[in-house]
Amino acid sequence: MFRKNRNGTQHKLYFRFYLQGWLIFILTLGLASIVCALLQHITSSDVHVPMIFVLAVLIVSLSTDGYFYGLLAAVVSVIGVNYAFTYPYMKLDFSVYGYPLTFMTMLAVGFACSTLASHLRVQEQLRVETERERIRANLLRSISHDLRTPLTSIGGSISTVLEESSLSDEAKRELLTGAKLDAEWLSRMVENILSITRISGEASELVKSEELLEEVFSEAVQRYRKRPDAVPVSVSVPQEVKLLPMDPILIEQVLSNLMDNAVTHGTGLTKIWIEAKSADGEVIVSVRDDGCGIEESLLPHLFDGSLQFSGKNRSDGSRFMGIGLSVCRTIVEAHGGRIWAVNLPEGGAEFCFTLPEGGRNDDCAR
Amino acid sequence: MIVRDKILVVEDELTISNLIRTILTANGYEVITAVKGSEALSMISSHCPELIVLDLGLPDMDGVELIRSVRSWTNLPIIVVSARSYDRDKVQALDLGADDYLTKPFSSAELLARVRVAIRHTRMGAPDSAHVHSGKFTAGNLTIDYDKHQVLVDGKNCHLTQNEYKIVALLARYAGRVLTYDFLLQELWGPQNQGGNQILRVNMANIRRKIEKNPAEPQYIFTEVGVGYRMVEGDS
Repeated sequence: MFRKNRNGTQHKLYFRFYLQGWLIFILTLGLASIVCALLQHITSSDVHVPMIFVLAVLIVSLSTDGYFYGLLAAVVSVIGVNYAFTYPYMKLDFSVYGYPLTFMTMLAVGFACSTLASHLRVQEQLRVETERERIRANLLRSISHDLRTPLTSIGGSISTVLEESSLSDEAKRELLTGAKLDAEWLSRMVENILSITRISGEASELVKSEELLEEVFSEAVQRYRKRPDAVPVSVSVPQEVKLLPMDPILIEQVLSNLMDNAVTHGTGLTKIWIEAKSADGEVIVSVRDDGCGIEESLLPHLFDGSLQFSGKNRSDGSRFMGIGLSVCRTIVEAHGGRIWAVNLPEGGAEFCFTLPEGGRNDDCAR
Repeated sequence: MIVRDKILVVEDELTISNLIRTILTANGYEVITAVKGSEALSMISSHCPELIVLDLGLPDMDGVELIRSVRSWTNLPIIVVSARSYDRDKVQALDLGADDYLTKPFSSAELLARVRVAIRHTRMGAPDSAHVHSGKFTAGNLTIDYDKHQVLVDGKNCHLTQNEYKIVALLARYAGRVLTYDFLLQELWGPQNQGGNQILRVNMANIRRKIEKNPAEPQYIFTEVGVGYRMVEGDS
């Protein structure tokens, strides 16, 4: 996959890969030389030397991008071995019997390994893309399935109000309130779909900016409080000011989904707590509630989007079970974070996700 | 006889246009509607409305172009209506001189609040005129004393730095309206500022820690993620 260099970050990334390649190259060959030098003191035979260097070439090829470092390692090894570790020591002598063969073998090993490594990388890329495609397909399938219910309710309620002149005001109000709730639910789902398209569009890279978590929290909570079934939310952030690289609209979506999930599935809940804590190189965000907790058997499958097909507990209330959570997972993982859920010993459930720090926080100290 | 404020609604979706008209008429405004940008431009000069509610997606011209051409000759307030996913358009519209924005789907309460703020700001005159630099601004327990350059919460001085005070005072001057990052940076640090909006964000985080009880649940200054900041409307 080749992408055009769009900005400085990309350049920086390439530069890092470049440095990393050289670093691996130098370290591996250096280590091989040291090992050979040590072994030379122990044994007088030198049959192990080519083996150790073949291993070094293999490691370099597997852990770097492209063919360059692998082939270079092969050439350098051949010359290095000839110079330092075979008789005559500290002298280049290519006239030794069988040397061209050694040379060709080393080159072939380097070439084969590099090819293998690039294949592996392409495979991995394909696997990630298939996985992403699978999530998207799952989402679309269940959405097209489940959008019918609220649409029937909205359309039906409104045409009943329009056509049935005998309805009491109270009955009309009830129908319209139901239509309104369903419309709100629909619009939350559309936000989720938009979030997914934001991630899995043509350029699948996120547009990140340096954001303050408290600002994202406060907007998510403000929006959430407009819901008719909202319960009190308590929010806390660390006192220290910390900018994190993220797509704020997507992270807001994660918070909204987690709160929505608590309200929809946490029977008996009275309060939600949202908290951010700084940990080692990342920030952990937790959304906690005092509801009924999560059924243990569901815990392993919460985020993989498979729940909506399980068929059980499919009353109207559990529509879209798991869709919101699989969207959360997609978003968090696209940010390089992790997401998990636990039941709390004192009752209730806790959902946590992490966001890595950018490591560029010195930029904003000006 | 009461003279009602006249509002021009520019929207090509008939259902949304009807909805906005119904909400506004029910709340005592006079509403005229246009479907196309060109139609809107001629109605502005012939009907002289007090306010425009403008949908950015129009059939014949880009809503942003309309804002540009209206702003070339009048300060008539413009509220932009846009769909959530078009972040950039929203910010661009605001930076070109739109006064505020609404995101679809919006509630009638939000629409009315934005309209009220926009009309009040034109009544008060251009916000940069001298009188707003003196006197006081109050919103709940927050007081800004323009004469002493102080911000007080519950009567206690919050000890803002010079820059922090300037930010709060600027937001209060446009209370109820969203101000974009670029606008704030331009006003406070001047056009030569190249450092991006982080300096503003960090200042804002510090302000929140001084004036809000809980910085994650602000009562006075709200964040519009990806757009800018909005100060709560002052008590009148």
